[in-house]
Amino acid sequence: MNVENVEELLLAYVAGELSEEENEWVEAALVESPRLQTELSRYERLFVLLSAAATEEIRVPADLRTRITVQITLNAYLDAAANLLGNVLGAYGRALIYFLRLA
Amino acid sequence: MSPSLSNLKDTDDGILVERIQNDSDRRAFSELVRRHQAVVYRACYRVLGNREDARDASQEAFLRAYRKLDTFQGRSAFKTWMLRLAMNVSLNQRSRRELPRASMDLAESISGLETPEAELMKSEAAAQLHEALQIVQPNHRAAVVLRDLEGLTYRETAESLGIAEGTAKSWVHRGRGQLKELLT
Repeated sequence: MNVENVEELLLAYVAGELSEEENEWVEAALVESPRLQTELSRYERLFVLLSAAATEEIRVPADLRTRITVQITLNAYLDAAANLLGNVLGAYGRALIYFLRLA
Repeated sequence: MSPSLSNLKDTDDGILVERIQNDSDRRAFSELVRRHQAVVYRACYRVLGNREDARDASQEAFLRAYRKLDTFQGRSAFKTWMLRLAMNVSLNQRSRRELPRASMDLAESISGLETPEAELMKSEAAAQLHEALQIVQPNHRAAVVLRDLEGLTYRETAESLGIAEGTAKSWVHRGRGQLKELLT
């Protein structure tokens, strides 16, 4: 495996995603290559940043669930009203509903 | 007899989905929203870069889920299916915009004004990463968000993005590579 191939594996190495055999390739290549060691340091820094971002608390808007459930209820009532209107007014009513994009 | 709210809280996702599919049970859907709104909102927020768009995208994703729930066959987990809808909405929403909005409120949203120094440094690191994420190509960004920030497996990441597992690995790899160039 050449240096470019090993470089491709470096973040996966830092993240612990490699097989034992791949780990051994990476470690053997690192001993031989100062450039790979520099790249490893960069990936380690990135991994720290990713870990920090992964654990950050992102607050969900307090009203999100309410907004969703209200919208779903509203849509259900609109659908029911449109169906009722369509039944009462027949084909012309359905055409009007289609035209007004009520359903 | 309809189940009480406390019963719903103990009910498996799959059972709740069946209730909605069979009886249009809106309380069951509300429970699914309660369970999954955090992961959906976080993923939208990280892809879109601001709270207002993330809230709109999350809402649209859940509305689509309710409309399309008949097509959910349980081959993947509800969470993965939901994330797929959320990623579709977020990536489409983003591509409709001519210019990406500034993500200044990313840093703002990080909690902990009274945190100790270490927490502050962590928050700064997270803000830095989020700023850089907004520059990464959208598909690659979504893959990194799901894999590295939400902790999904490559298989779940692939399912959430509607792509093959090998493609998911490639997108994550490219996204990480771009982040490395931007941040280190």
